[in-house]
Amino acid sequence: MKRLLRLYPSAWRARYEAEVAEVLDELPPDRSMMLDLIRGAFVERARAVWRLIPSNPIPAGGPPMLEHPLQRHPTSLALLALVLVAPTFVFVFVSLLAYQIEVPGLAAAVEPALRALTAPRWVDLFLLGAPFLAFLVAVVPLVGLGWGRTDGELQLTLSLRARALNLAVLLLCVLIGGLLIGHLVSEFLFEAAR
Amino acid sequence: MTESNGRDPGLLVMISLAGGPKHGHAILLDVAGFAGLRLGPGTLYGALARLEEAGLIEAMPMDGRRRPYRLTESGAAALRGRLTGLDAAIRVGLRRIEAA
Repeated sequence: MKRLLRLYPSAWRARYEAEVAEVLDELPPDRSMMLDLIRGAFVERARAVWRLIPSNPIPAGGPPMLEHPLQRHPTSLALLALVLVAPTFVFVFVSLLAYQIEVPGLAAAVEPALRALTAPRWVDLFLLGAPFLAFLVAVVPLVGLGWGRTDGELQLTLSLRARALNLAVLLLCVLIGGLLIGHLVSEFLFEAAR
Repeated sequence: MTESNGRDPGLLVMISLAGGPKHGHAILLDVAGFAGLRLGPGTLYGALARLEEAGLIEAMPMDGRRRPYRLTESGAAALRGRLTGLDAAIRVGLRRIEAA
């Protein structure tokens, strides 16, 4: 049951975890207690995010930026995006070598494997959607949104961070996504012309 | 059953602390005793965090592995005001039910 306390925000845990653990030691565990702890974790997480939203008037120099939880882990998200886009990258890279650059013998060698790999519809869809999904995962920690009121007027501020790894993954996603779209469009035009 | 049945856990916690400082488990037992309600630990510590933030209760030094809480002066005043308002509403409600 105490493991559920890991669902709570770190600041809350630093302050209350030991006390709640002590209370849990004294209570017989049951399902309603488990649900109560999970519900409490959601509430505390929502409050932790809500607290980040500035409620004071905007100071000179613009409104403070909202740091959402995902902004704290740009490297992890860049690596996750890289893992997501890696299969498509390999697929596109091998296809380029085999069919566009026409490396001798490669097309014949990889053709059966590529056909078998893309036979299930979901694999095909994943390979196609992965660059776009990975782009979103890598870009989220780079985007900050701030808002507040000054003289009764709502002001929105968008900030973009420049993290080398995230930007490199974004570039890779754009490149692969662009190649895929180009390939699909050229195939469509080719089919339409026949 | 661990539930609040729509009742305000913060109010119940303050009523409990009005009887003197208590730690988390003691508050649960006290609320169960006077309100017939078993608060869950997530609900209890959510209420304690809210009340502490609002300055209505304060944490005392650790007593072993337990940390007692007590009402602050502003907490006692807020509780008095809240209960007085509820008391008036309850009396009006009961009078109207009896008259109906």
